[in-house]
Amino acid sequence: MTLGVVLTLLALIWLWLVNTQIPDVATDGEPGPRALPMLLGIILAILGVALALSRTAGPPAGEDGSSSAEPAPRTQADPPTARTALATFALLVAYAFLLGKIGFMSATAALMLAAMGGVLGMRRWVFMIVFAVAFAAGTWLVFSTLLGIPLPRDPWLASLQ
Amino acid sequence: MDTLLQALAAATQPAVLAATTVGAIVGLVVSAVPGLTFSMALILVMPFTFGMEPVPAIAMLFGVYSGGMTGGAVSAVLIGIPGTPSAAATVFDGYAMARKGEASVALGASVIASAFGGLFSLGVMVLLLEQVAAVAIRFGPAEIFALVLFGLSTICGLAERSLLRGLTAGVLGLMVMTIGLDELDGVGRLTFGTVELQQGVHMLVAMIGLFAIPNVIEAFANHGHVTREIVTEEVRGVLPWSRLRGYWGLMTRASIIGTIIGAVPGGGGPIASFLAYDHARRFSKRPEDYGRGEIGGVVAPEAANNAVMGGALIPLLSLGIPADAATAIILGGLLIHGLEPGPLLFQTSLDIIYALYVTVMLSWVVILLAQVVGIRLFVKVLKVPAYLLGVCILVLCGIGAFAARNSVFDVYTMALFGLGGYLLQRVRIPVAPVVLGLVLGPTLEQQYRTALILSEGSHRIFLESPFALAMFALTVLLAGWQIVSSFRARRGVPSSEVIS
Repeated sequence: MTLGVVLTLLALIWLWLVNTQIPDVATDGEPGPRALPMLLGIILAILGVALALSRTAGPPAGEDGSSSAEPAPRTQADPPTARTALATFALLVAYAFLLGKIGFMSATAALMLAAMGGVLGMRRWVFMIVFAVAFAAGTWLVFSTLLGIPLPRDPWLASLQ
Repeated sequence: MDTLLQALAAATQPAVLAATTVGAIVGLVVSAVPGLTFSMALILVMPFTFGMEPVPAIAMLFGVYSGGMTGGAVSAVLIGIPGTPSAAATVFDGYAMARKGEASVALGASVIASAFGGLFSLGVMVLLLEQVAAVAIRFGPAEIFALVLFGLSTICGLAERSLLRGLTAGVLGLMVMTIGLDELDGVGRLTFGTVELQQGVHMLVAMIGLFAIPNVIEAFANHGHVTREIVTEEVRGVLPWSRLRGYWGLMTRASIIGTIIGAVPGGGGPIASFLAYDHARRFSKRPEDYGRGEIGGVVAPEAANNAVMGGALIPLLSLGIPADAATAIILGGLLIHGLEPGPLLFQTSLDIIYALYVTVMLSWVVILLAQVVGIRLFVKVLKVPAYLLGVCILVLCGIGAFAARNSVFDVYTMALFGLGGYLLQRVRIPVAPVVLGLVLGPTLEQQYRTALILSEGSHRIFLESPFALAMFALTVLLAGWQIVSSFRARRGVPSSEVIS
């Protein structure tokens, strides 16, 4: 029920955005850039309504719900997972922010320490610091030095030269 | 015959052998890392090939190509994350096998199936190059649209228990891919005036988020109470020939699917492997085993995605038309060496074409050896406890998302998709149809609209092609069958309280 309502609302917001944001222009004969997003929004709205009305829409609740089309095994929907999910999301956002500010190696070590110390609650600080620094340096070596991916450089690297 | 001997001699020079070996190993390793595809591996080795002679350069590129198609299965099996989009369909049963303690068998089966599919399509390519190309060149936008639509109809098959949720997932995937600059009209769609969104959502970035991040969250959440071993088994480099008894027919059919899809511009590995997976499950005597560690669910997509290579090379070599991103990169590599693919190439550089055949065959020997001998190295990564591996995967996801377009913005996007993937899991919307929508969406829309531009707005263009008509009929048939069987299955299930 809730899922259906949420999806319908999502579809309505999407349709409103499509309507206001995408100009209705088209090369001769073709439906234009607005047609597909519009169509998809309408389909999603219909699916949302159908899900809201359908009583047998999902797999039986008694089962563990691990669908075979799913690569990841389903965990029980418990509050700690939701908290972990939000924490992981926050970590990644902070990581993206730091990448552009303090460079790949520092940001990576910081991310790993925050994940281990914060999210996982580990307290073996010596291990954690060695692991984080070694992994950050190792990945930098492989991906930046060896493979030539232009990962953001740490400012302190410049002072070494 | 002389040309063939010359080619054999050219392909077995030490420099060429070394280039093939290095290429195959780079392809294997890079594409085994989630988020780093063989397309990227191809781009990365490209600068190395600039200074080489044409034959070793081509050998290296094709080594990366074959190795990359195969390597994606390693992480699909061992950590449940496709190393490359073409391995997405391998996750379902490969990862399930690994969790049952059959990781070695799954990996061995996947490398045999890969080699089988690769060599099969190479054989087909050598035999039918000109004939198949003559068919493929007549495909216009209408035919490609019909083909892609048919590919999308497998969403229903992937949706498993709830058709509504499966369709929702597919639509969500398609919606995501409409964001960005519309290539036909040059109009920004839902970009909110930002430069970053003009480029749209990179398929790979979305896939990293959807597939990898929920896995990491789960590993983090389970830390402390349940220690979920990702792979409990000592993985050995084995080639489980005996387990594949009874599957050679399936592998052959999957290879045929892969070769055909590969030869069609806009086809490519992801479509072929999903189609082959769907075919394997549909025609299995025990379709309910699929998704729970059925070896057929590993060999079918792996044979198919490797068969794509031979198929994709047909339009590339005979017409100069790249069928997917990887062949487009290879086309660039060939042009740098003054080799312009097309009918003329067969007259001017037949020796190089034959050398190419031989190097591709040799690269399979290298891959089989590397996989059997080196598999323990791959597995070393997985000896780390799941939550620590999760920490490392977060970093690799960050690198993968960044490297897709060298953009920090994509790391934010990846994080958002990670949260989205987690939410989808919570509300039991399957993630596979989302990915199918992501992969097929852009081609579907572009070909549809291009067809209508060509026909000046008349939909008759779609009805005038017998091939398109046949594909539409198949699509309707498949979707109808799915809807009927889903209703039939539901009637058998006692209706219970549903949280939706």
